[in-house]
Amino acid sequence: MTPTRTAPPEPRSIAVGDTLWALEVDVTATLIAAGAIATRDFMPVHHDRAYANDQGAPDIFMNILSDTGYCSRFLTDWAGPEAMVRRLAIHLGVPVFPGDRLVYNGEVTAVAVEGDEVVVVVGLRATTPLGDHLTGTATVALPAADGA
Amino acid sequence: MVDEALEVQLAALVGQPVGRGGPSIAPDPVNQPMIRHWAAAFADDNPVYTDPDAAAATRFGGIVAPPLMLQTWTMPTPTLEGIAERGGSPVAVGGGTALSVLDRAGYVGTLATNSEFEILRYLRPGEVVSSETVFESISAEKQTRMGRGRFVTWATTYTVETGEVVGRQMFRILKFDPSGVSA
Repeated sequence: MTPTRTAPPEPRSIAVGDTLWALEVDVTATLIAAGAIATRDFMPVHHDRAYANDQGAPDIFMNILSDTGYCSRFLTDWAGPEAMVRRLAIHLGVPVFPGDRLVYNGEVTAVAVEGDEVVVVVGLRATTPLGDHLTGTATVALPAADGA
Repeated sequence: MVDEALEVQLAALVGQPVGRGGPSIAPDPVNQPMIRHWAAAFADDNPVYTDPDAAAATRFGGIVAPPLMLQTWTMPTPTLEGIAERGGSPVAVGGGTALSVLDRAGYVGTLATNSEFEILRYLRPGEVVSSETVFESISAEKQTRMGRGRFVTWATTYTVETGEVVGRQMFRILKFDPSGVSA
């Protein structure tokens, strides 16, 4: 399900236009409910299908705290364990339902060396068959040199 | 037609706390079981969250909490009985919330549109997080694809016991009147 990952990029070699490894998530009701509860969001639209139907939704749908969770994983799957997520801003589009394949893609849009860190700005997008689920930008900082 | 009384009520909310009774204090300190639960939910195998030896070898020097778990620590412990009847509110709220003003004005629908985090530093097990949320802005009525609505923006500041600010969040929802638009 998840593409095989290689070692994180060498911070000083990161360049504008570099793409992050795509993250593909085959979404199930279990995943949506587990994400909602792990983030302590007990809103019934995220675990109770009958309730979601009463609200006009075809099924339960993913909560926002799960979205930011997946964004965080998507960023550090690529950037590695030394990465620090400094900023994440997302704009939400279509909801994510069970049965959807949610695909994250991202691209480096800016890189700067600040002190002993390489600071990378990433533009990211997560799509489902219905369209963009979210778009956003993130800032990730990495130590400029190993062992620095 | 502009409802002058409503405009005054909404303008008065800006800068005011969203919750009643002061900051929300995390019911539990940052801890490994909740971190492990979170990491498993998103299949996030970053070792700095769950592997003490691997985490010690990184610049963090030990286990840290996932940065975007920040919002989770201060989520209220829910009363599950009756949660559906309360419209999903995790705990009973006497007298309604500040958003009730918008519900009464017909903007009963809610749709989250934006979330923006600034992470100043990562949290370690044992730290106790507090959050304080204020209304940052409430827009004029706009026509949206969901119907007429207003964008409500609130700003949350996350601190630890010492008062140090560890993160900030901007969150925006659309409160809309679903009656005018067919699905």
